[in-house]
Amino acid sequence: MTSLVSAEGVTKSFGSFTAVDNVSFEIESGRILGLIGPNGAGKTTLLKALLGLTDCEGQLSVMGLDPFKQRKKLMQNICFIADVAVLPRWIKVSQLLDYVEAVHPNFSRKRANELLQQTKIMSGSKVKELSKGMVTQLHLSIIMSIDAKLLVLDEPTLGLDIIFRKEFYANLLNDYFDEERTILVTTHQVEEVENLLTDIMFINDGKILLNSPMDALAATYTEVSASGDDADRARGLGPIAEGQMFGKSVMLFEGVDREHLEGLGDIRTPSVADLFVAKVKGERQ
Amino acid sequence: MINHQLALIKREIWEHRSIYVTPMAIASIVTLGVLAMLMFASGFAAELDVAIFGAQNIVGDNERQAVLTGFFLGTSWVFIIALAILTVFYSLDSLYAERKDKSILFWRSLPVTDAETVISKLLTAVFVIPAVTVVGIVVTHLINLIVVSIWVSMKGGDGGVLIWQSVSFLDNWLAAFIVVIASGIWMSPFIGWFLLVSAYTKRSPLLMAFMPLILIGLLEGIILRTHVFADNVLGRGDGMPLFRAVDIERFFDEEQWRVAEDATSLLVHLDIVQFLASPAVWAGVVVCGLLSTGAIYVRRFRDES
Repeated sequence: MTSLVSAEGVTKSFGSFTAVDNVSFEIESGRILGLIGPNGAGKTTLLKALLGLTDCEGQLSVMGLDPFKQRKKLMQNICFIADVAVLPRWIKVSQLLDYVEAVHPNFSRKRANELLQQTKIMSGSKVKELSKGMVTQLHLSIIMSIDAKLLVLDEPTLGLDIIFRKEFYANLLNDYFDEERTILVTTHQVEEVENLLTDIMFINDGKILLNSPMDALAATYTEVSASGDDADRARGLGPIAEGQMFGKSVMLFEGVDREHLEGLGDIRTPSVADLFVAKVKGERQ
Repeated sequence: MINHQLALIKREIWEHRSIYVTPMAIASIVTLGVLAMLMFASGFAAELDVAIFGAQNIVGDNERQAVLTGFFLGTSWVFIIALAILTVFYSLDSLYAERKDKSILFWRSLPVTDAETVISKLLTAVFVIPAVTVVGIVVTHLINLIVVSIWVSMKGGDGGVLIWQSVSFLDNWLAAFIVVIASGIWMSPFIGWFLLVSAYTKRSPLLMAFMPLILIGLLEGIILRTHVFADNVLGRGDGMPLFRAVDIERFFDEEQWRVAEDATSLLVHLDIVQFLASPAVWAGVVVCGLLSTGAIYVRRFRDES
């Protein structure tokens, strides 16, 4: 495995506000990393730094390049969808393909045409004539026709209905992803992507709260539903979060051996959403 | 690099359809106007009809040449005024619209630098719009000369001789090309300024572009009681060092028209050497370069979130 992205002490401030605070991490190639955080956590700023759209302090290297200084070269091997609304509304589909073909050395027009043939998008249509879902399909078709090493998706399915959202991720996995490629995705709809992810990173107030492979979560985090004396005993083991559900205490443990928790109640691996809430709340307390 | 520029400029023309729609609209209006005038003159009096376009060459060669040259100048100025308005609106919109509709994030997701993008917009404003304008002028003249030739021929005159051989059209088209391209270069500091405002402003680019210029001119007049800024910046449009001094009285004196060259070739009124040797031209180009660099800087460093 080789590191595709390497960040060391990355910081980005706007005046007195620090959006990304001394963040360090690595992303290896062939992974699908979910970057999860509440609004204003610093996700988008971090992505912008990775994409060379904003400068930052610290050491940041993407495919061995300095993203801000070598953005043009970087963009030959990175694709990103920042939001569904970014395709220019005035442009025709055919013009869009002509333009991307002219400026992107790794774009395959043939592949884009094949992908678009599977949709209802006509090449003579203007983007403003397409529905929101179709605009996303168009954008994704373009992205999937670019032979890029890293794909960055920032809330790619925001505002889409459930059918388009499912289709979006299915297309991405079936037609795009392979071990040569890496995907970095941010979304609010964690539950829709958690099954796709190989790695997860939580970010809040500009700091990383969690950075872990998905398959390591089960070994580290455990959720126990307990009541009565069992709940008190469980509480004694130091849960990082506790809530009430159907009259039972639901407690989340970090780094506590499952053997110690067995017998105290129902045990399961927490969902990413629950883990995220616990981590963010824990940070605030 | 050149392929990128061509693709970027093509994109500008797709986005700003007014670049080619405006000349087409003016050409149509001028042609309809000429047709209406021909019909009106014809219906008014047969003598007037033939006098203007010289079907029977009653009035004389010089007058016919003067009318054709006047027509040439008049239509060219309509195009040039439209070009000026179009360039102002284009330059102010070029880096503002992409931020307003958020498409800047898409454009910046492709391997194209901010410098390449801003340069494509500068080239479009300084050269492409003027070039399209020249094509508009030439095509409009051609269409109208063909219409007038047919009209004259229908009246029994020799359109080939009376219309096509009386004025040096190639000279005049070349003159139009030189004037229009030189205007783009001469006014380029304004284009640079408009691009910078377009890249920077969050709202009302038109207001943000003109208000500071007018305010500086006014403040200079009120506080310093001088008008250096007003003369050199606001009044720049009047001072293009391309034209030879024209004796207006002689120009309109009927006798002097008989010095036929004045009336038949506009090229003799232009002095390209004087234009290229003028420090004001090159100072303007430098200012345009600095302001456009500012626009590149703003597009590159501004955080769009």
